[in-house]
Amino acid sequence: MAREMKETLTLGTKGSGRHVRPSSRASGAGGPLRDLYLSQLIPALLLVVIGVVTILSASLSIPEANFASHLAGIAIGLAAAVAVWHYDTRALSSMTTALFILACVLMVLPRIPGLGYEVNGMMGWVRLGPVRFQPSEPSKIVVIFLMASAAAQYNGKIETFRDYAKLCGTLLVPLLLIMSLDLGTGLVIFFIGATIIIVSGAPRTWVLLTIALIVGVAALVIITSMIEGIPHILKEYQLNRLIVFVDPDVDPTNNGYNLTQAMIAVGSGGFFGKGFGNATQALNGFVPEAQTDFVFSLFAEQFGFVGSVVLLALFACMIVTTILLAMRTESLYMRLVLVGCVAMWTFQVLENVGMCLGIMPITGIPLPFVSYGSSSMVVQLVAVGIVQSVWRHRQKAA
Amino acid sequence: MDLSLIIVAVCLVLAIGLVVVYLVFGRSEANFTMDIGGAAPKAAGGSDSSTEKTASNRLTGLLVGVGAVFAVLAARLWSMQLVSSDEYAEQAERNRRSTIYTQAPRGRILDRNGREIVTNRASLTVVADGSVVDDQIEVQLLGNLIGMPAQAVRRRLQDTTEGYQSPRMISVDVSRRVVAFIGEHPDVFPGVSIQERTQRSYPHGTLAAHVVGYVGTVTQEQLEASENGEDGLPEYRSGDIVGQSGVELSYESVLAGVRGEQTVFVDAHGDVLGYSTSIDPVPGSDVVLTLDIDIQKAAEESLARIVEQRRAAGADCPGGSVVALDCTNGEVIAMASYPTFSPNVFTGGIAQSDWDALSAEDSHYPLLNRAISGQYPAGSVIKPLTSFAALNYGIATPDSSWYCSGWWSWSGRSQGDTIMKCWQESGHGAIGLSSGITYSCDVVFYEIGKGFYNSENPEGMQETFRAYGLGSKTGIDLNGEEAGVIPDAAWKREHYKALGYSDEDSTWKGGDNCNISIGQGDVQVTCLQMAQSYCSIANRGPAWKPHVLMGVRAKVGESFVSEYRPEEVFSIEESDSFRDLIERGMWGVTYEESESQASHWTNMSISVSSKTGTGEQIGPGRNICWFGCFAPSEDPKYVVFSNVDGGDWGATTAMLVVRDTLGAIYGEPDNSEAVYAAGD
Repeated sequence: MAREMKETLTLGTKGSGRHVRPSSRASGAGGPLRDLYLSQLIPALLLVVIGVVTILSASLSIPEANFASHLAGIAIGLAAAVAVWHYDTRALSSMTTALFILACVLMVLPRIPGLGYEVNGMMGWVRLGPVRFQPSEPSKIVVIFLMASAAAQYNGKIETFRDYAKLCGTLLVPLLLIMSLDLGTGLVIFFIGATIIIVSGAPRTWVLLTIALIVGVAALVIITSMIEGIPHILKEYQLNRLIVFVDPDVDPTNNGYNLTQAMIAVGSGGFFGKGFGNATQALNGFVPEAQTDFVFSLFAEQFGFVGSVVLLALFACMIVTTILLAMRTESLYMRLVLVGCVAMWTFQVLENVGMCLGIMPITGIPLPFVSYGSSSMVVQLVAVGIVQSVWRHRQKAA
Repeated sequence: MDLSLIIVAVCLVLAIGLVVVYLVFGRSEANFTMDIGGAAPKAAGGSDSSTEKTASNRLTGLLVGVGAVFAVLAARLWSMQLVSSDEYAEQAERNRRSTIYTQAPRGRILDRNGREIVTNRASLTVVADGSVVDDQIEVQLLGNLIGMPAQAVRRRLQDTTEGYQSPRMISVDVSRRVVAFIGEHPDVFPGVSIQERTQRSYPHGTLAAHVVGYVGTVTQEQLEASENGEDGLPEYRSGDIVGQSGVELSYESVLAGVRGEQTVFVDAHGDVLGYSTSIDPVPGSDVVLTLDIDIQKAAEESLARIVEQRRAAGADCPGGSVVALDCTNGEVIAMASYPTFSPNVFTGGIAQSDWDALSAEDSHYPLLNRAISGQYPAGSVIKPLTSFAALNYGIATPDSSWYCSGWWSWSGRSQGDTIMKCWQESGHGAIGLSSGITYSCDVVFYEIGKGFYNSENPEGMQETFRAYGLGSKTGIDLNGEEAGVIPDAAWKREHYKALGYSDEDSTWKGGDNCNISIGQGDVQVTCLQMAQSYCSIANRGPAWKPHVLMGVRAKVGESFVSEYRPEEVFSIEESDSFRDLIERGMWGVTYEESESQASHWTNMSISVSSKTGTGEQIGPGRNICWFGCFAPSEDPKYVVFSNVDGGDWGATTAMLVVRDTLGAIYGEPDNSEAVYAAGD
């Protein structure tokens, strides 16, 4: 009954007509491919290939970009994704408390003496024996499951303000723990959590009030950080990034310089780009962190407008198909997990690409599947695995 | 750019539109919720009962939001990579290219016989990579070795005027010891090396210093002038060594050459990744001057000797000058000014102590070229010009005669009037114009001055002086020339009023005429101006623009690529009988005025026509002593002129300088010891 109703609804929804319906694909394709949501998987894998090519070019002149290590990250990520694909993630829906504790532990890990580790002056790393990783990356996945399970409890009807506040509080605790350590990841987690809460059915007025509250607090944080003599919440470099975003000429040597150089890299790429390995800006040191934070500059300089549009189209395709899958998934929990993945990808793409285009402030957020860094690569591939898992286990939901 | 703005704007409107559509969706949902909530009793704070619909609507909203994000990114990409791509590409190109500059060696400066006056010498220079600045210990060691403060070494290391990738010049002209030490300890001084560079060199020291001038680091004004593309100036970069005075300045564009440029590809740290096009430096051209080193040297030595003699005698004698011209074409054979300086002190940057010494008042301003910049009363050397004026305007005739009793007054009375004395207070007796020049009788010229005052052409004298080039620059190819002053009624009124004098005191009077007739009063001339006016007398008409450039040599061989063309600046017609009379008077100065004077000239194989002069300088209270001549009298080739500020008489100071200079030209040194006691 529920399934029929959903079908009716999706038919009436704009955009769903373009998509091959799961039922028809399931009956048409058959074989081992039946369990794979190819229209989401293929763009994701193509993005991984783009990342391989881009990091290969970065490894030509950026010593920090180790190509073999990048491939290793992909291998681990694919293995993890296959494992997740087989696993029915619905098992996690009732583990809200455990997930909450896990999220908090991950956020606190880098602060534990002996475990915390600093790379390139960036806090937020953990060293466990021979393994170094950023717990903030897996925490994104944990938060997706945490918020999905927490929000799904209300079955789409958040009727009391107490419930709403409880939901917000569930997000707020890990968020506060990470914000002071890694603002970029904090923003991603905030965006994931907020999107899940909104889609789960929180009343509009409360959401708007919350947004107003956040804007007010953010403005207060920024304004107090600009006044001398009172304690600053934002670190100086974070404030500078905001100032530079408004006017890159203010500080042409550091952040403003970085931003200007990244934009020159993108713009000078032109229609077809300068070709593989010919990124005179990104590969000759003018663009900092060209293998991670500014990886889009590196890509866009080499492959131009054509390449960039293909890249964005692949992301768009991957994200839209995930939303479409969410539309025909009747389990609210699974739907919210997919929404969390969508929120993560969308925000990371917007921030990473937008930063290189000068329309977003500078923060250190990797471009999914493309940026150098195994922690990020494994987590992003696991997210793909989650989407595939939802697809694979969809019939059981019916 | 406009197009991109429009595209971005359109996309933003689209994005906002989508959000608005979503909000409209939301509103209907909200209404629906309200209706349901109203129809069915529910718990407080009741919301949507249709979970499925709410979630689905919100997913649609999410889809719209994602679409808006990608639309904005794509629009921005369009604007950056398609519309403004060229600007960004240009900036990227500027980023990756850098230029290394090599200074071009300056051209040499030669005398008329091709002998070097100014040249370049090899100089051992310590250079270092810019990165050495990060090594505090190495900077300190380098400073200790060269004998420079570490801070100074650091400043040099940070100086990128030769291009960011060029090695930085630390010290020029280092000793062999320093060179050897650095060579033996490459491990102590990584990034430091020795280069052989060229330095401007003046092997003859002070010789012709005022003519050749000196070089120095380009000034802010010169940088701006070259940026504004002023005539023929090379394109300067800050830190360039350029001509600052004399020939080094006047012919800078020829001497400078063109610096070499090597375009390199660099990364963000400035490290060179590859080499692009390069342009080799073009050395400057050699400049040949009209000066003759031997004559110049003789003139300088004589001038220095006379001034030093005067100083030794306790006289206040700041300096003097001498000029020898080829009157047939305006070539400057010798030009000297004393005191002088060595241009070598400016090479590699002048030390503060040297600069202080050169600009101190008691050093009498050695940088001043007194031959063209020193303005003095002309004194009696102006009398031949006064004579031409008198004859031309009918104030005197070849047969005019006056009586000199040693003094003179406007009314002729000895009481109740200003008494003006002849320099020879015993008087000259009855005397005509020619003898008036020979014996420099002031009374004759007072009468002429009075005659002009009462004539229809009260300013006839000034017109004649100006016609002979006084009161205006000769236009010599050296900087710093002064124009002098030939005063007239209008000038006096304006000048004296400005100084605060009354109307009465600012009015031109008869006495002023008498003053200027003997080159006194407010008359101011330079040695070169007087020499030029005598050239016209010697040539019986034309005067050529004085110049020091003979020509610019071709890069190979000794031929000229460009040669100075003599330029006639004025030519004066006088009747031959007047000329004969005045030339006779000037011939007489040399051989008849006094025996002792003649003894310095009769030992020469050529005849010389001349004029002595001793002017009083009202301000400093010193005499300005003059002597000018042309030779040979029959067919003049040379005009030599000299003045000594603070001499006693023209015949005892300036005349000897002129005699020695002319002696050097003809190879006939003065062997007369005769000293003239007194005389103008």
